[in-house]
Amino acid sequence: MLENYLPILVFVVLGVLFGVGPLLMSFVLAPNKPDAEKNSPYECGFEPFEDSRMKFDVRFYLVAILFIIFDLEIAFLFPWAIVLDEIGLFGLLSMAVFLSLLVVGFIYEWRKGALEWE
Amino acid sequence: MNFVIPDFTPAVPEMVLLALASFILIADTFWSERYKYATYYATQASLVIVGLLILFSFTSETAVTFNESFVRDAFADVLKLFIILVSIGVFLFSKEYLQNHDFYKGEFFTLGLFAILGMFVMVSAYNFITLFVGLEIMSLAMYAMIAMQRDSAKATEAAMKYFVLGALATGLLLYGLSMIYGATGTLTIPEVKAVIEAGKANSTVLAFGVVFIVIGLGFKLGAVPFHMWVPDVYDGAPTAVTLFIAAAPKIAAFAIVYRLLVDGMPGLVVDWQQLLIIMAILSMVIGTVIALAQTNFKRLLAYSGIAHIGFLLLGFIAATPEGYSAAMFYVLVYAITSVAAFGMILALGRKGMEFDQIKDFAGLNKRNPWLAAMMLIIMFSMAGVPPFIGFYAKLVVLEEVIAAGFTWLAIIGVVTAIAGAFYYLRVIKVMYFDAPEQDTPLPASTRELSVGVSVYSLSLLVLGIMPAWLMAVAYNSLLM
Amino acid sequence: MTFEQLIFYILAAIAVISSLMMISVNNPVKAALWLVLAFIATAGVWITAQAEFLGIVLILVYAGAVMVLFLFVVMMLDINLVKLKEGFIRYLPIGVLAALGIFALMYMVLGPNNFGMDVTGEPVRFDANHSNTTMIGLALYTVHVYAFILAAVLLLVGIVAAIALTIRRRPPHEVKYQNIDKQVKTQARDRFEMIKMQPVKEKPVENKKEEDE
Repeated sequence: MLENYLPILVFVVLGVLFGVGPLLMSFVLAPNKPDAEKNSPYECGFEPFEDSRMKFDVRFYLVAILFIIFDLEIAFLFPWAIVLDEIGLFGLLSMAVFLSLLVVGFIYEWRKGALEWE
Repeated sequence: MNFVIPDFTPAVPEMVLLALASFILIADTFWSERYKYATYYATQASLVIVGLLILFSFTSETAVTFNESFVRDAFADVLKLFIILVSIGVFLFSKEYLQNHDFYKGEFFTLGLFAILGMFVMVSAYNFITLFVGLEIMSLAMYAMIAMQRDSAKATEAAMKYFVLGALATGLLLYGLSMIYGATGTLTIPEVKAVIEAGKANSTVLAFGVVFIVIGLGFKLGAVPFHMWVPDVYDGAPTAVTLFIAAAPKIAAFAIVYRLLVDGMPGLVVDWQQLLIIMAILSMVIGTVIALAQTNFKRLLAYSGIAHIGFLLLGFIAATPEGYSAAMFYVLVYAITSVAAFGMILALGRKGMEFDQIKDFAGLNKRNPWLAAMMLIIMFSMAGVPPFIGFYAKLVVLEEVIAAGFTWLAIIGVVTAIAGAFYYLRVIKVMYFDAPEQDTPLPASTRELSVGVSVYSLSLLVLGIMPAWLMAVAYNSLLM
Repeated sequence: MTFEQLIFYILAAIAVISSLMMISVNNPVKAALWLVLAFIATAGVWITAQAEFLGIVLILVYAGAVMVLFLFVVMMLDINLVKLKEGFIRYLPIGVLAALGIFALMYMVLGPNNFGMDVTGEPVRFDANHSNTTMIGLALYTVHVYAFILAAVLLLVGIVAAIALTIRRRPPHEVKYQNIDKQVKTQARDRFEMIKMQPVKEKPVENKKEEDE
């Protein structure tokens, strides 16, 4: 089974090399003469006014967590789709129950207005 | 594929509860604008329906289904019925409180129903996976219920503490379960038992697994030294939620302790017995001593709850079927008593005011003699004064632990029980002999609440006069 | 050392180093990125253990979705980095001691004494066509159907909890909500009204002002 993953391994190694190589080369080869002025942060030529970090609205979090839940649901669908022939009607129905419970959640969030921004 | 379609009939109560909870979840979004109490009544109705279903299909036979991941026996049925009984009281007492504190939301009831479903799953778990998932369903719903009063910094802090420590405890429990799985090669509780008894499992791994499992369970029960969350969460959570987490989950936690340690690992009794002895002594002593210093009634109940858990563990330490039944009797009594005690705080609270300091009870006898009398019953029962039911709960546990040869443990138990009586009696003294701050009469906030609290409190007296019935229930469900 | 072992040790080293970096870097966003690397390396380890589906799900769900959530939370909290670092050095010895203690315990329990090859036997080596996903699917939807449905319940509780805790609708006078039902049901006559009225002759425009100007 593992031999199937050899191309992926080669791909990952090459990908890392392609990503890291140029960075390393520019780090080694490019002229690098920092001074205090070059390293200081600025906004359009001014000194920075405030911290660049700011609080995010909690609604982004809500969208993200709802996404995760449905993402997990998808993860359950993959093996099911592969073995559907073998698990028969029972498997079909068990997935139907699973999905209908998530549909309950979906209707709930729709009705609550969690899918609307404002 | 040789797969037999499982028998669904034993799990019908769970399926009905799930269907009703899902229905209420959606229906609430339609109801909440027009009919304020529809969700509340629907919740109570579904609990009654599920309770009746269990009651009418009650058999003393053991049914195992879903490829040995679900078990229904008399033990599970009795605990489920008591979970329902306790939860009906919880929701009854919560309705008014939620309104007075401006967070009456349908989600409180639906999350509560899901938490109860999680408890059912825990009680009926016959497999490590379902046990764990049930625990998670219950815990997740309870974290959300605590944090639901979003504008209260205290409630949010309590939820955070509960969540972080609860997640840690779940992690430890899971770690222990995975070690047991590694040693035995099976997740099903009876098979684990068989493998351990056949001596095929590696004893080092098993011992470590048991330690981790007991620590995880100790967290969930709130036994010392894993009790740090209990007082803060009880105090910080809205009282209605405190009531919920103080009563029914203890029954479910008792069930998983029984399923894991007694059903699954009776072969390792020597290992877990020692751990439970340490936890029981510490819980009884520390719970009692710290409770003496409390001025907040919710914190007092939290520490007294820790001491009660110590007593509950005595039943497991006895490690005989009679001992487990005594522990079961103890947990049922404790759940009913704590519903009554927290219900009292809810009944006497007002809009914008919690009735949770001990000094709030000053002179309650002059302001509301009936509820003061009920409080007297609750406190006496908690202290273990005859003829109230709490006395028999302590008595049977001590009897069994002596019968198992741990007389010194029983002596520690008796000493802490007597020391503990001091702080219960102090509440009574405050109610009957201290001068009230105001002399105005203090009726319960609604008639419903007054009646509800009275029913639960009087049941402590009635059961105390006739303890045989409840004892028989606890004994028969385990010994049959 | 076989080639597989080499791959395993490289991936395991990446996982360990990136988890150490994750707990020691100051910037929480960078910590989250190190965590992604730890997840990916762990996924690789799982795949070398022939649990390919779990490895892919780990990347899909954890490295993909959960990390997004982590980053949102990190950004939402507006963490003060200086405060976060306080006490790091002071608690470091205790932390290192606890970590070493746990490592020693784990080595005792999970080490070669109890779970070595000579105890558990050589793992089964599956051939090229063996599908781990199929094996999971066959068991999950039939034998473990109860746990599978309970997983759905857990997800449902997650949805309800997240919404109950975070959704805060602003009152209608602050925000204008779109009512789609109402918009769809609208007929022409709701928007456009024909009114019968007597013709009115307009007054001639006063030209005075113009003249003034």
